[in-house]
Amino acid sequence: MSELFVGTIWPLFELVLLTLLIVVPLLLAVAYLTYAERKIIAAMQLRQGPMFVGPYGLLQPLADGLKLLFKETVIPTRANKGVFVAAPIVTFVLALVGWAVIPFGPGLVLADINVGVLYLFAVSSLGVYGIVMAGWASNSRYAFLGALRSSAQMVSYEIAIGLVIISVLISAGSLNLSEIVEAQARHGWYVLWHFPMFMIFLVSILAETNRHPFDLPEDEASLVTGYNVEYSSMAFALFFLGEYANMILMSAICSILFLGGWLPPLDIAPFTWIPGPVWFALKISAILFVYIWARATLPRYRYDQLMRLGWKVFLPAALLWIVVTSGAMVALDLLPK
Amino acid sequence: MLGSGFDLSPALPEAFLFVAGLALLAVAAWRERQANGFTLPLVALSFLVAALLLLGRDPTPTLAFDGHFVADGFANFVKVLILLAAAGSLLLAPAWLSDEGVERFEFPLLALFSTLGMAMMVSANSLLALYMALELHSLPLYVLAAFKRDEIRATEAGLKYFVLGALASGLLLYGCSLVYGFTGTLRFDVLASTFAGKGGAVLPLGAIVGLVFVVAGLAFKLAAVPFHMWTPDVYEGAPTPVTAFLTAAPKLAAFALLLRLLFQPFATYVDEWQQVVILVAVASMLLGAFAAIGQSNIKRLMAYSSIGHVGYALVGVAAGTGEGVHAVLVYLGIYLVMSIGTFGCILMMRRQGRYVEAIQDLAGLSRSRPLMALALALFMFSLAGIPPLAGFFGKLYVFLAAIRADLVWLAVVGVLTSVIGAFYYLRIVKIMYFDEPAESFDPLPRPGLGLVVAATAVLVAGFPLLPGPLVESAQAAARSLLGS
Amino acid sequence: MTIALFVFYVFALVTTASAVMVIAARNPVHSVLFLILAFVSSAGLFVLLGAEFLAMVLVVVYVGAVAVLFLFVVMMLDIDFVQLREGFLQYLPVGALVGLVLLVELALVFGTQAVETAAVDMPPTAPPGVTNTEALGSLLYTRYFYLFQTAGAILLVAIVGAITLTLRHRPDAKRQDISRQVHRRPSDTLEVRKVRPRSGI
Repeated sequence: MSELFVGTIWPLFELVLLTLLIVVPLLLAVAYLTYAERKIIAAMQLRQGPMFVGPYGLLQPLADGLKLLFKETVIPTRANKGVFVAAPIVTFVLALVGWAVIPFGPGLVLADINVGVLYLFAVSSLGVYGIVMAGWASNSRYAFLGALRSSAQMVSYEIAIGLVIISVLISAGSLNLSEIVEAQARHGWYVLWHFPMFMIFLVSILAETNRHPFDLPEDEASLVTGYNVEYSSMAFALFFLGEYANMILMSAICSILFLGGWLPPLDIAPFTWIPGPVWFALKISAILFVYIWARATLPRYRYDQLMRLGWKVFLPAALLWIVVTSGAMVALDLLPK
Repeated sequence: MLGSGFDLSPALPEAFLFVAGLALLAVAAWRERQANGFTLPLVALSFLVAALLLLGRDPTPTLAFDGHFVADGFANFVKVLILLAAAGSLLLAPAWLSDEGVERFEFPLLALFSTLGMAMMVSANSLLALYMALELHSLPLYVLAAFKRDEIRATEAGLKYFVLGALASGLLLYGCSLVYGFTGTLRFDVLASTFAGKGGAVLPLGAIVGLVFVVAGLAFKLAAVPFHMWTPDVYEGAPTPVTAFLTAAPKLAAFALLLRLLFQPFATYVDEWQQVVILVAVASMLLGAFAAIGQSNIKRLMAYSSIGHVGYALVGVAAGTGEGVHAVLVYLGIYLVMSIGTFGCILMMRRQGRYVEAIQDLAGLSRSRPLMALALALFMFSLAGIPPLAGFFGKLYVFLAAIRADLVWLAVVGVLTSVIGAFYYLRIVKIMYFDEPAESFDPLPRPGLGLVVAATAVLVAGFPLLPGPLVESAQAAARSLLGS
Repeated sequence: MTIALFVFYVFALVTTASAVMVIAARNPVHSVLFLILAFVSSAGLFVLLGAEFLAMVLVVVYVGAVAVLFLFVVMMLDIDFVQLREGFLQYLPVGALVGLVLLVELALVFGTQAVETAAVDMPPTAPPGVTNTEALGSLLYTRYFYLFQTAGAILLVAIVGAITLTLRHRPDAKRQDISRQVHRRPSDTLEVRKVRPRSGI
């Protein structure tokens, strides 16, 4: 009996506990990301933002969540019920499972798998299904158009992201995220070596998460918020949570690949006092600030411009950079092993 | 880092073609307007350069790329023929392309990649390399068949060719996987030594089934009966220069692949595959002879004629001897020249700016265009196998090889079908020389077409005077294939 | 061990069940979604086998790219499967008969002989300590370099062919020329005039 407990039940229990340890703070972070977004945009537009629920409006996200939770879930009559309900769940779950391989500090990772980068890439490529399913199941033209736009956009930018990642992988010589971070301790952060790729990555993740200025799938003016137009209450909240969790995930990937993950900027005294996970959180916050900043300042792209940027600028540039990187590494004999 | 597996030198001509294709593609993509004009001559030139690179190469077999690729005397000989045939049939195209308003750089580039695939087929030394090269050679051909995309016949031809070609690839791949599964190796040389080591022990049944599937897939590419159904429609529907391209080089490449497969790894098992090849050969000869009689469209007629000629060449394969291989190579070398010449003549059939394809359009050609009529008559006589011309010698070699291999009845069938087939070739000559003249054809706009036709006509007529180069180098190639 | 076994049965069950649903589902979109589920759970099986690279590539390529396009086509075509299946029962006996004959033939062919394989030694599996990403890569780029490169050439030809057959330059379409926009100066289009009051231009 005790063997069964030690061998089977306890590891499962431990796994659930660790998962909760990641998911709960993440959901809290998502909630306060929405608050931060409203506050920052307000500041940029010389407004005050949420002020009334709690001190400085700090309880606003909780109030919003409660409101959505208690609203009635409306399922359109002509919707395809099963798929309609499954879509937001898929989106939300996929936004969470990516976190399984993210290292928060040295050894602080739920699943330290060899192909961590590919895993993240696979999870983010699945993300499109939630949106396509929602668009189709709603049986509404706006929703379907939004889904079409969104999936074309995500598939296109995934290619650019994939090629950008390859340059980093060549330099680090590993697909394991922890090893990529540790390689940056030796080589210096990759943002220095691969700065153009960092820029491309930063812009591509905006497009990949359907955020401004590439939020064409939710384009209010032409699509009345696109794929999620028929959703209400908790189903809508799941999309919303999924989108913001994805933003945080993408920022985390970006800081692992280019900004040295949990590493302090300089390996000397005052910086090393702060623990790794805090540095990691700070870096993620910095990238999230860019997300919000872009939303507050940039006008929306036109669809053909978006496609042009992805296929005709980012794709060739990233390919060229792979050639340059691998050429330089072979020439200078820098290849790992 | 870059170990011995990366020695490119055995594959130098292929590497050259590949790089030339990539470079031309890049240039053409940026300078589309100008490229439509200059790409075709450059591609033809790169074929000739690649052929020059092949001349005087060491005929001893050299393996490359971990044994997937082999360069030997046989491959060199066949590749030179393929490259010359591809260049020749490509040079027929420019006038047609500009007349029909489809002068685009993709045409020669697709032909280049297809030819690259053919060269790789000839040098394939493993089942996987065989399959990949075959795909590289056929994919551009599907596109080329539908190149005139606004014409319904061309798109139909392309689609038909593609669907049936995909089916044949499936058969071939299935066969390859069976052979691999029952022998545990992909490489031809390892297969050969394993079989030889068993001293003619019975081949595993699965491998025989696999071999039959592979041969069936190749028979499709050759358009041999019973895998010929696509040929007439594709030949008729595809643009005429594409049909010219299809009849020449791809046939040779597929034959070379078949020869290498049957005479290297499966040489020990002649008895196992001989009956299949005989069956296909007889069926092809009969169909080629009878089905062509009723045709009124000259491209369709040439389709049936090509089926028949594949049958004759297969007679040489069926012989299963070095002499048979030699005969096949000579036969195909001659057939290439004849078919390019004939299609050159077909491409001259242009009346008031439109291309015509009916046999009746040739009526009385001897009076309006005596030289063209003479050339076409020469090709027809040669295709029929009338004595002093080249086509006769091709058939002679093949039938002799069959007789020496104790397949007298096969040679008799071949002679009989040749006599029947002569009827429709001679009918064309009769129409040209004895019928009431139809309206005359337009004058030739560019000299290229005329030059190719004249050159092929001279080759066909002059072969008996100087048979040496082709016959002797084919002999050497056959010897190289059989390793003796 | 027990966990791995449990997970295996879960994935195997889901894979098989969703594969059945691909055929059985009435709605073609549901079929595609089940196909995707089958892909994902077979990726899970790959992970259990220790082939994590193949698993991820399966998800990225098939689920992330191929199936999305597939789903689109099915969603937009609006195929009526019920209508397609109308003749199904009518042809079922013939099809079943052909299948049965084939099965018997195959059994006769392969049953009479013991399967004889491995004329040469099978290549060894990856040495310990090498991740399967590395093992695959080092095979693909050395021993199978030629075939890899050929596959690249085939794909290139496929792209060129697809563009040749479908791209039509529309002369009436208005295209954005970014460099022209950027290089436009005010002096090219703008003329500054002093306008006197009450006189007009």
